[in-house]
Amino acid sequence: MARMELNGIAKAYGTVEVMRDIDLVIEDGEFVVLVGPSGCGKSTLLRMIAGLEPITAGDFTIDGERMNEVPPRERDIAMVFQSYALYPHMDVARNMGFSMEIARAPAAERQGRVAAAARTLGLDTLLARLPRALSGGQRQRVAMGRAIVRDPRAFLFDEPLSNLDAALRVEMRLEIARLHRKLGATMVYVTHDQVEAMTLADRIVVLEAGRIRQIGAPLDLYERPANRFVAQFIGSPTMNILPVTAEAGAVRLADGSRIEMPQARPGASHLGIRPEHLEVTDPGEGQIVGTADVVEHLGSDTNIAVSVAGIGALMVRRQGTATLRPGDRIGLGIAPGKAHLFDAEGRALRPAPAD
Amino acid sequence: MESRSVSRQTANDTASGETRARPAGPGGVLWRHLIEPYLYLSPALVLIGLVMAVPLAIGISYSFQSITLLRPLDSGWVGLENYRDLWSDRKFWRAFANTFQWTFGSLAFQFGLGLGLALLLNTAFAGKRLIQALVFLPWAVPAFLSALTWAWLFNPVIGPIPHWLAALGLLDEAENILADPALAMWGPIVANIWFGIPFFAITLLAALQSIPGELYEAAEIDGASPWQSFTKITLPFLAPMIAITVMLRTIWIANFADLIFVMTGGGPADSTQILATYIFTTAFRKLDFGYASAIAVALLALLLVYAAVLMMIRQRLVRT
Repeated sequence: MARMELNGIAKAYGTVEVMRDIDLVIEDGEFVVLVGPSGCGKSTLLRMIAGLEPITAGDFTIDGERMNEVPPRERDIAMVFQSYALYPHMDVARNMGFSMEIARAPAAERQGRVAAAARTLGLDTLLARLPRALSGGQRQRVAMGRAIVRDPRAFLFDEPLSNLDAALRVEMRLEIARLHRKLGATMVYVTHDQVEAMTLADRIVVLEAGRIRQIGAPLDLYERPANRFVAQFIGSPTMNILPVTAEAGAVRLADGSRIEMPQARPGASHLGIRPEHLEVTDPGEGQIVGTADVVEHLGSDTNIAVSVAGIGALMVRRQGTATLRPGDRIGLGIAPGKAHLFDAEGRALRPAPAD
Repeated sequence: MESRSVSRQTANDTASGETRARPAGPGGVLWRHLIEPYLYLSPALVLIGLVMAVPLAIGISYSFQSITLLRPLDSGWVGLENYRDLWSDRKFWRAFANTFQWTFGSLAFQFGLGLGLALLLNTAFAGKRLIQALVFLPWAVPAFLSALTWAWLFNPVIGPIPHWLAALGLLDEAENILADPALAMWGPIVANIWFGIPFFAITLLAALQSIPGELYEAAEIDGASPWQSFTKITLPFLAPMIAITVMLRTIWIANFADLIFVMTGGGPADSTQILATYIFTTAFRKLDFGYASAIAVALLALLLVYAAVLMMIRQRLVRT
């Protein structure tokens, strides 16, 4: 069990500063997901928590104990690597029990814990195999099993599912969620996949270029993104961003249409609207008129790429199937209260009472 | 009878298959399975036979003959006489024992220091590329030249080593260890260690660099100390490479006569005579090729036994 605290953490390679002013508190038993585009520093941050990467400045504590200079083996944490990092010359059982072998735990206790973890993960029949004789999903399970047998106070995951195919990824995602519920341990999870972030996290930390852009519960980030970056990063397909000019209580789009918004105020420069919050109407109704370019039928949903004169391309997502065909003229209505407004720096503008 | 029925059946199969371009004649099976493959292999087989098997056979046949250039009229087959002489030859047994001292004295230090050097070179430091290139230097120097240089280094008149050893208290006085029968073997061994370290350093470094760095990170997170990482990850990964390099190196060292021949000539009083130098002096000083061949066969048998043992160990290591 561990409560981690990061205070003003910075990371520099030589004179190149890659990370600065990271303040983050991870509560005991919490599942925190670090998410961001590649190169944003999320893996570096995780490696600093693990102790594999030195911390340039700031304080990192676990349960109030300063950890900056403590080597990984004394931090009592387990990590699941992207490449799994299984020991290729050891069979599955020895891989999983390696931490206890290192700690010179009695063999009976080690076998018991390995067997228990193998049962949980469905690896019972594979214990004598070498990693090279396993499939990707099985290797992933062994890597998780190794972390479970370690029985650490915190688990770290570094993009653990990115090498699996889509179906297996969904399965393992559920497995990890189950594991967290069962163990109740603190978990820090790095991914660039926002679906993993949304589904697993108690709280998501969105990073960009070595800075934290927003911390919050998944739905908070979805409903109240603090800035344009988070707004566009969270949600799929990505949020539509339209340039606007501010008027009193409303904004005007580039094609001239006027949209009432209580939070509109001078300085508003962009309107954000998620594809699922654009309603398809008959042409002439709604605020915007456009032409359907591409219609993607996903079965449960339909994605419609719409081109609008004076504005450009908009993505619209409709539940269920639509009878639209490319070339049809359609009207689009912006669901009231669902649009977001950003100023020129990308900061979200909120309705006055909510702020 | 049986082979005929098989051949008929095969002919039937190909007839029903209808896809064979070349009709199979009555000798088809014999041709395809016994002659044809060897025809294609024959250039390589002939070449190997000419450069390896024939000289080996001739060399072994010499050991059963009396071939002494100084007594050309006594030539001829003598059966096992050379081997009987060998059995009662005290110089041979002395050289036999010296070969072990020479081989394993050199090998242990070459391997230990080479592994240490490889581990050092595997860390990051300034000027690493230059050092890596310099490590190869002993190999760029002809063995003959390095032997002469080492002989001079051990000479108290012009070399510093005896004075250093005396100052350290390892020698009573600054004398030439190459002239002391009890110590002479260590002279060529030291030169050989210097000569052989790069081989182990470079091959083991290549093996070290193929170990994924993440395994060490995983081990560190699993709680392993640096020593545990070394014994449980580095060594198992190096084991196959260690087995093959130690085997090769042992055979090379056992056959490696240059340093000893130049530094001591096998002396003083045969104290540095190994089998390889004994073969050389017997053949080219005493001009007794029959007897030299018998010694060579003994050395060959010794090395074959050694290689077989090591291959067995290696197979064990690789399987687990």
